[in-house]
Amino acid sequence: MSAASRFFDNRNVLGPLFMLPAAALLLFFLTYPLGLGVWLGFTDAKIGRVGEWIGIENYEFLVTDSVFRLSVFNTFLYTLVASVFKFVLGLWLALLLNKHIPFKSFVRAVVLLPFIVPTVLSAIAFWWIYDAQFSIVSWVLVKMGVMDHYINFLGEPNLARMSTIIANVWRGVPFVAICLLAGLQTIPPSMYEAASIDGATAFQQFRYITLPMLSPIIAVVMTFSVLFTFTDFQLIWVLTRGGPINATHLMATLSFQRAIPGGALGEGAAIATAMIPFLLAAILFSYFGLQRRRWQQGGSDR
Amino acid sequence: MAPAERREGMHYLESLPRRWVTVYIPLLVFLFVLLFPFYWMVITSFKSNAELLSNGSNPFWVIEPTLDHFRKLFYGTSYPKWMWNTIIVSVTATFVSLAASVFAAYAIERLRFKGSRQVGLAIFLAYLVPPSILFIPLAMMVFQIGIFDTRWALILTYPTFLIPFCTWLLMGYFRSIPFELEECALIDGATRWQILIKIILPLAVPGLISAGIFAFTLSWNEFLYALTFISASENKTVPVGVITELVEGDVYHWGALMAGALVGSLPVAVMYSFFVEYYVAGMTGAVKE
Amino acid sequence: MTRITRRHFLQASAAAGAALGAPMLARESMAQELSFQPEPGAKLRVLRWKRFVQGDEDQWLANTKKFIEKTGVEVTVDAENWEDVRPKAAVAANIGNGPDIILSTNDDSHQYPGRLLDVGDLCEYLGKKYGPWYPSALAYGKSGGRWIAVPLGSGGNCMNYRASHVKAAGFKEFPKDTDSFLKLCQNLKKNGTPAGFALGNATGDANGWCHWLLWAFGGRVVDEQNKVAINSKETARALEYAKALYPTFIPGTLSWLDPNNNKAFLSGEISLTANGISIYVAAKNSPDAKMQAIAKDMNHAAFPVGPVGRQTLSALFFTCVIFKYTKYPNAAKEYLRFMMEKEQYEAWQKASASFVVQPLAFYERNPVWTEDAKNTPFKYTCKNMLPNGYAGTMGAASAGCMADFVVVNMVAEAASGNMSVKEAIERAEKRARRYYR
Repeated sequence: MSAASRFFDNRNVLGPLFMLPAAALLLFFLTYPLGLGVWLGFTDAKIGRVGEWIGIENYEFLVTDSVFRLSVFNTFLYTLVASVFKFVLGLWLALLLNKHIPFKSFVRAVVLLPFIVPTVLSAIAFWWIYDAQFSIVSWVLVKMGVMDHYINFLGEPNLARMSTIIANVWRGVPFVAICLLAGLQTIPPSMYEAASIDGATAFQQFRYITLPMLSPIIAVVMTFSVLFTFTDFQLIWVLTRGGPINATHLMATLSFQRAIPGGALGEGAAIATAMIPFLLAAILFSYFGLQRRRWQQGGSDR
Repeated sequence: MAPAERREGMHYLESLPRRWVTVYIPLLVFLFVLLFPFYWMVITSFKSNAELLSNGSNPFWVIEPTLDHFRKLFYGTSYPKWMWNTIIVSVTATFVSLAASVFAAYAIERLRFKGSRQVGLAIFLAYLVPPSILFIPLAMMVFQIGIFDTRWALILTYPTFLIPFCTWLLMGYFRSIPFELEECALIDGATRWQILIKIILPLAVPGLISAGIFAFTLSWNEFLYALTFISASENKTVPVGVITELVEGDVYHWGALMAGALVGSLPVAVMYSFFVEYYVAGMTGAVKE
Repeated sequence: MTRITRRHFLQASAAAGAALGAPMLARESMAQELSFQPEPGAKLRVLRWKRFVQGDEDQWLANTKKFIEKTGVEVTVDAENWEDVRPKAAVAANIGNGPDIILSTNDDSHQYPGRLLDVGDLCEYLGKKYGPWYPSALAYGKSGGRWIAVPLGSGGNCMNYRASHVKAAGFKEFPKDTDSFLKLCQNLKKNGTPAGFALGNATGDANGWCHWLLWAFGGRVVDEQNKVAINSKETARALEYAKALYPTFIPGTLSWLDPNNNKAFLSGEISLTANGISIYVAAKNSPDAKMQAIAKDMNHAAFPVGPVGRQTLSALFFTCVIFKYTKYPNAAKEYLRFMMEKEQYEAWQKASASFVVQPLAFYERNPVWTEDAKNTPFKYTCKNMLPNGYAGTMGAASAGCMADFVVVNMVAEAASGNMSVKEAIERAEKRARRYYR
């Protein structure tokens, strides 16, 4: 082996070398524009006009802005409720899919459909399903005599929040379910057999085997899910544009509305930047969740 | 969670009615809810405009099916062109991201070079950047390097959200490949490069497939970048083309929109139906150790 | 800009009579012909909004084709949903690249006047030949005394109503003042044929009627000095009126975006709404007998006049802007000149079934206004409408305020009882201050 090839086989040389393509792409197309974006948040930039540094003025205003505060509340509510439902329903669906069922792979493929259709397009389908006058759901309920008027899905603030959350959950459940299904398949059946010989009930098996074994992947999947939900834009933009009366405005949509149609680039960037601390918290939570998993495997590998 | 939940492998212990209550009925409800919007899209895309606006007849069925919307889609718009763009952009972006991620994941997970943990964390952090903050500065950059309004604008920016996920998934997968294999090869005098190409990659195929499918789906569905970086109709992708060109003023062409959505989802759906088992297997590799 | 503008002033035999004619009487003046010499090898990229009305786009393209044949300039026209044109225009203005010409909406172009080519020569020429420009056109076309955009016209905004239902509600003709309008809405509701006006974040429809309402009662976002003046008893009265009006609407209007009222009207769910001509055209051109019947029964009327005692119409306005970064400024100006000349403009107006309402008085003569009496109420949209940002001047603040739905949100909050009138006004005042500082 030549000296050169030995040099390149050194892990401290080859490692950074292998990192190069990913690092270059990310630094150039992510870190740099991110820096620019954060900087924009400290300026009063408008469309077509380079801004001047104004320090934290944008943030000072946002703190007192009731629409922004509402959007923060909405974002948290949306993320929290949608994530909880995605998790519970996703786990349930994963458990069901893990059973012996007919047409197994067909069912698995079909379940993923909501995840496949471009969000903007499925959002349009939902928009129609939620229409105040043409809703198919309302039509059925009225025909069945359950109610005498059409449901105002997107017109009443709390109902609108619920409706957008349902659409988000609909889209998110398949991803969570398939990931958790993958996790479930790694649990050796022998563990359950041993447990049932020991007389553990089904619930105990779920509580003491399934959940702990799944927890690392749960941490990861839920982090991704939280991230996607927190930064959601397309769904809200198509369904409500943030209405009614800003009841469904998320930070991402408000940022867009102020920055692009509204022209206040600086303020829009400030709103987007304000999302970062929360996202950071979610990521770190998951990262350390991942770290924990080594320890867990050591503990559970009997 | 039903307390009587039974685990896999013991299903023969369950009586049939009980299985209906605990498995089949919930599953059917899930399938119904998850698939209903699709049914709705399909039905809509075959309905005539007049039928779409009538509130009287049974909305669950098409009385006079028509192919008008599909005809409009294929002959009245640049839809085939958008489809082609989306395929090229998604495939290329996926390959670029996969290649970058394979190297990155291998370096972080198997080479364990100095600082690899920090790099791993940094890649993970890349996920926290929402596109809604990036697209304005990115648009300026994309313009400065002269790729505005070309497919390259998308091919080069999509990896920013694809690489972190692919790297994470592949890191997990590589971790599941026994170190002994590599050590044996090293003793036999193989270089790291040979090991990666000849040993690790073949073993990681399910992981690659599942990362690839995921990346492909994300690229296929991307909206914000494609909306802002692409201006000419002939360079658009399917989601953007459908939304920007099939919505006319304050008139929505429901039939054509839904037809566009359906046809636009088909390639991905076909891919999933072929690879779903690999997908699950790939994810499995990523999460086990 | 180092490029030299070569202008060709073709002096036509000056008809002495034209100069003597009363200036307010719109007449095609033969005084002066203007044309710009396109740069050799010029190529233009035009981004326009997707048609609201079939025919508009076809004719625009046909006119463009004529232009290509005449001048040899290569022109590509992309059409996109009008709301998606806005981010495109914003990005183009910000990075300095994109389409050469954009057909933009409302006062968007006033957010980046510095990025737009001066079209003074062209607009002055058009104003002389086909003018005068209506005041609204001047407001949208000029920024700080400089022409930054060629006013293209308004999307029109009228009350759309079902004549038979209005008659059944006890009105022989459409009410002309806000008091009887309220009565009409109440009666329509009683008869089960309610009205519906968008209150969601709908750029066109919600902004249109909410601004009308505010102005009809003498309220306004800012005064003549661009000082925020929304916190007034006039605004409060407007909101009290909205509170009385809202219960007469069909449920769900808080969620309505621009397409909702079209759909609801065409399916017969509502009998009264505010819109451009697009509902009528869709009904008229439909092969469906039910839609035909709606087209026959429906009609248009001007917005009722409020306590201020004059028209306070608000409508979508379209302008054409040329970006400074274009390599072919003369070709771009020539293109717009060509499109605004009567041979093209009148044909376009006709093809769009009067969806586009002229900004120039001359085009009032277009037969499209008389051949179908249901078109006529739209005829004076540009004449009667008040520009966005009234009573102040147009600019980034007025555009931002509208894009942030300050007025729409205020009306929606108060009308739905989500907030008290006082709270809604105070919140709007605070938000408006942010833009006008």
